[in-house]
Formats: sequence, C-alpha cells, structure tokens
Amino acid sequence: MENNKRRLTYAEAINEGLHQAMELSQDVIVLGQLVDYKPGIFGTTKGLADRFGKNRVFDFPVAENIMTSAAMGASLVGIRPVIVHQRLDFMMYSLDAIVNWLSLWHFKSNKESRLPVTIRAIVGKGWGQAAQHSKSLHAWFAHLPGLKVAIPSTAYDAKGLLLESIFGENPTVIIENRSLFSQADFVPQLPYRVRFGKAEVRRKGKDLTIVAISSMVPVSLRVAQMLAAESIDAEVIDIRTLSPLDEATICDSVSKTKRLVVADPAWQSFGAAGEIIARVSMKIGNQMKSNPIRICLPDSHTPMSYVLEEIYYGNEETMLKEIRMMFKE
Amino acid sequence: MSDINHKSIIKIGKYKDLSIKGIDNELVSGLYRFMLLLRMCQEELIKEYHPADEIRCPVHFCVGQEAMPAALSFLISKNDFLFSHHRSHGYFLAKGGSLKSLFAELYGRQTGANAGKAGSQEISIPSVKFYSGAIVAGMLAIAVGAGLGIQLKGKTEVAVAVFGDAAADEGAFWEAISYAKLRELPVLFICENNSYSTYSHQLKRQPADNIHARVAAFGLETRALFGNDVITNYLTLKEAFSHLHKGKGPFFIEAYTYRFRGHVGPEDDDYIGYRPKSELEFWKNNCPILLLEEQMVALGLLTAQRKKEIVNEIENEIVEAFKFAKNSPFPAEPNWEKLNWAQESPVADKLLHDGPQSEIFDQNQKDTIPQPY
Repeated sequence: MENNKRRLTYAEAINEGLHQAMELSQDVIVLGQLVDYKPGIFGTTKGLADRFGKNRVFDFPVAENIMTSAAMGASLVGIRPVIVHQRLDFMMYSLDAIVNWLSLWHFKSNKESRLPVTIRAIVGKGWGQAAQHSKSLHAWFAHLPGLKVAIPSTAYDAKGLLLESIFGENPTVIIENRSLFSQADFVPQLPYRVRFGKAEVRRKGKDLTIVAISSMVPVSLRVAQMLAAESIDAEVIDIRTLSPLDEATICDSVSKTKRLVVADPAWQSFGAAGEIIARVSMKIGNQMKSNPIRICLPDSHTPMSYVLEEIYYGNEETMLKEIRMMFKE
Repeated sequence: MSDINHKSIIKIGKYKDLSIKGIDNELVSGLYRFMLLLRMCQEELIKEYHPADEIRCPVHFCVGQEAMPAALSFLISKNDFLFSHHRSHGYFLAKGGSLKSLFAELYGRQTGANAGKAGSQEISIPSVKFYSGAIVAGMLAIAVGAGLGIQLKGKTEVAVAVFGDAAADEGAFWEAISYAKLRELPVLFICENNSYSTYSHQLKRQPADNIHARVAAFGLETRALFGNDVITNYLTLKEAFSHLHKGKGPFFIEAYTYRFRGHVGPEDDDYIGYRPKSELEFWKNNCPILLLEEQMVALGLLTAQRKKEIVNEIENEIVEAFKFAKNSPFPAEPNWEKLNWAQESPVADKLLHDGPQSEIFDQNQKDTIPQPY
C-alpha cells in the first residue's frame, strides 16, 4: 500500500526515479559531467555509480556536443541515455546535435527510427548565478518539432515525468529549476508515470486563471492565497509539459474565469507566455473580460548582485500588483 | 605511401601502384561493377536532373569518388552501422540500398527510401543501419555514440563514419576523435579528402592537409592513402575491420580523392575558377574506374565484349529505376504531429504504473538557495 504521507524533495524524487529506471532496465545509462561523484549533481545522481557501476553511470569530458551525439548514437543500439547538464547554459554547445539531428531524426527517417534520449537541464537561480548560470530556454526547445519538453514544478512530477521520458520513444528535454530542489511533495514509491500534455489544476478558482510554469507554480499558489483575502478566487494551472501543451485544460479554465495570467520564469519576449496567450486568445479571446497579462523576467540578462537579483526575479507583491490592475480595468 | 597529401599525389602524374595480383577475381569484378554502376547511375541522374525538373532537391554527386564506397561495400556487414556525409549515394548502395528506392527518394515519391522526407543528402535506411546528413561533422559524432552503444552492450559490430576534409574544420570532429580514443570505441573513421569544401580549399581552412597526422597525435591507428586505388582502399579497410573486431580501438583512414563534378547539382561549377584545370585533369586521368579497368584488361580479366555486357546490364537497371521512380505516387498529406513524434510508448506501458494521484502541493516552502556551487 502506498503511504500518502511519503514525502521526498524534488532532488530526492529525481534520484529515486533514476535509481528505479536503472533497476527496471539494463539499457538505462546516466552520463554528464561529475555525475559519478559523491555529491551527485545536487543529490540527483547520488549512489547511482556505486550501485550500477561506472559502465552505466559515467563522467563525461567537457564536450556537450559529443555528449549529446554519443547519447543519440548509443540509443540507436538500444541504450536509453539520460544526459545531465548541471546548468542549462552548458548545454548550448550541444545545439547542433539537438537542433540538426536529434529533433528531426524520427521525421526524416519517415518514422522508422527513434532516439529515446532524455536530457536533464538544470536552471540556476539566486546566489549570484548571473547571466551564464541561470537561463531557462524551455521556449527554444518547445519551438522544435520532434522534441518533448517537460518542466516539472513538484517532486511528484519530477519523478513521473523523468520516468515517462526515459521509457518513452521520443527525445525529451526536462528543465529543472534549481530553486525547487529542496521543496518536498508527496512522491509514491512505485515507478509511476506522468503523461505529457496533461496540465494539473493546482488550485480551483472562478475569477482568474493563472497558468504557471516551473518555479512560478509555488509563487502563483501563494499569490492565489493572497488574492483570496481580497475576494479574488484564482485558479492555478501547472502546465507540467510545454511540448505538448495541454491547451484544452487552459482554455476550459479561461472560459470559466474569463481572465488569464501566465507566469513564466523566463524572458518575456517570444517566449512560452506569449505562446500560451496566443493560443487561448485565438480560441476564446472574445470571451475574456480583460486583456491577458504575462508575468515574466525582464528582457535582460540576469544580474549577479543580490539586490539586483531581487528586482529582476520579482516576488509575490510585484505579481499581485499587476493582477490587481487587471481587475481595475 | 605512408605520409602523403594532395600535393605529393599530384606529382605522381600517372598512378601505377594499383595491383590486382593475389586478389580474388570475383572480388575484382565486383569492385569494378559497383564503381561502374555508381558512376553510370549518377551520370544518368545528372542528365535527367534538368530537362524534366522532376528531381528537386540538392544532390551531391560523387563522380570520381567511387572507390571508397565500392571497397567498403565488400567489407561492411549488415549489422555494422554506417553514417555518411551528404555525398551519400555510394554509401547508400554500399549498405545494400536499392537503386529504385534511391531514385524514388530523389523524385520525392512515396516509394523512396524515406518516402520523400529526406532526399539525397539526408537519406537513410534504418533497417540496415545506414544514415546520412548534410551537417558536416554531426554524423561522425553520432557514429561515436553508436560505438559507445556497441561497447556498452558488449556487441561485436562496428560503427563506420564517412566524412570529408571539412569535417575537420569543426570542433565536433575533434571531440569525436578524442572521445573515441578515450574509450577505445569500435569506430572506423573514413575521411574522403577531396580538397574542397564547396569552393574553399582545405589550406584556406586548415593549417595543413594532413588530417591523419593530426589525428594520430590523439593515439588513433591511422592510414593515409591514394583514395582512387580501390584495391588499396579494400586492403586498408580490411586491416581496419580486423583491428576493430579485435577490440583494439578506433581506426582512422584518410583517403585522398577528388570530385569530378561541381559541389552540388548537375552543373559544373568550374567557371568560378576555384580549382586549377590541371588538377582536375590529373584526377580524371587517375579515375578510380579507369585505374582498375587498365589492370583488369592487362591481366585478361576484362574484354571489350564483357564490358559491353556489364554496361548493358547496368543500363537496364538504371532504366528500371527511373521507370519505378517516375511511376511511383507522390506522398499524401501527412499528419504532421505523427510524422514528427512517435505516438506509442510500449516500454513505458510495460514498465511504469499510472498514479496514484498527486496530492495538494505545499506552496509555502522556501526556494532552494544554491550557495556558491
């Protein structure tokens, strides 16, 4: 029997998912810089090398392009590789492998060939991570046909989406926000799956729909709590996966609440928030009581100084302010 | 010819070292027929390209570079992987691809190797582990991955990567070489050095035209050879396969060769003036088919009558392939989503459970602060 009180942190849930995946199939390998050292990439790869050996869990040269290509080639032999990037920024060296090969492989083989490669990319936040340690480029990857993109906000989803990616047949990018790593949630022990393209309504409400992504999910839930005190009943939807996107759940909610806010921890322009607003507006824009808004990062690279960080990332108050304006219109 | 390059080769004038002595007659005839078929089918495609304008994709013809795919076709096995550059036709045939499915792919038809999704430069046959692509170094990096997979699974196959000299311009090339050696992966690298990246000469792009020497510095077993000598190609490849099958790590071959035609498409691009006429003449004079034919005639292995018969056979095959391609239907409008993403997850269905449902998330937890690391 599952114990409903069983709680793990986000990092522990990923770690458990990896242990179980490697247990379930000999074909699963984990590769990335420093994955086989004691700290285990913020705890997520802890104990894997000891348990499954350095043949299945191995450190990789600082060469992200060949790392991704190697994973692709190995998957053609039946391996299910999990690549770990301690920072998404380091992954940029692998863009050719991802854009020119990985994403279009299935397509150009006319559906005959598959590359089940899972890429975990960690996004830094805070303590001066600055411009080269903090980018969340989920919208870039979601722009590409052929890739699946997951962006879990809870420990439950982090494990379920990871397992679903590893044992699925499509290449997947999982974006993990570092600010969530110590946050705990109910995590069943079973190797369970969270399916792509199914958003989760994390709070029910009738006056406003907040579509939240990754680290903006807990923020949005706190904002919803504060709005309740002002008699605004917000519904909070966690998209969980960006590609595919659960448009139906979002549109159903907005048809009910008539208002839409999208909270995305990424730059505002040409991003996921814009895409979500466009999709909803094109379907039910005429039902909305006010213009949709998006809560994003400024169109600027991330500053180092913690004083500037606070301004840059914003908080519940800045989000509240914008939402209140919406109700004054 | 252990340390050769384009400059030293051209000084030879006429290559005289091709020798079929001690080589099985059937093999010699097979190599000859493969090269002739490859040459003739491309010359015919070149003729057909424009009048009808039915082939509407970039096609990189390998006229002049037939010797390496021919030699490889007699050594690579079905279970070996072959990753090719965009000048792919010879390698497509070397891995057992049919002329009909090649032509139909160029004509964009449903019966093409990839049902008209890939065209000449990205054609593949996943069932026999043949893949190609147009981004110059990406493919050899993936070949290294296949080598890794083979090693991890304890299999005995080999991953073969074929690429041009321009691949060594790319960082991915050196990452691949370094990693293949680091892990002693069963990867055979074949560089067809034809001197030019489109119009740009290798020495405009690299400090020297000795890729094999630079690769040797990484500790790989390397060979450099005159790539139009199909017998030397064959014997060197044979040595390489034996090295790889013994688990002795990656092997690198640099084959100096030349394309007779333009970089892409049916037209000559020599009006641009990027390569000297004398260079082209040297290589045509040392055409891989001609070099072998001369030896076969000298040893009485080929008569004018026999050649005529072979040419007739090949002509018929080509006519049939054109007929097949032109009479095949065009692909219907696809379901784009299904075309780009696999829809089923049989492994996940077998191994993973649905639920139990998640519970309400405790939103009042603090952000993780990374600290210095």
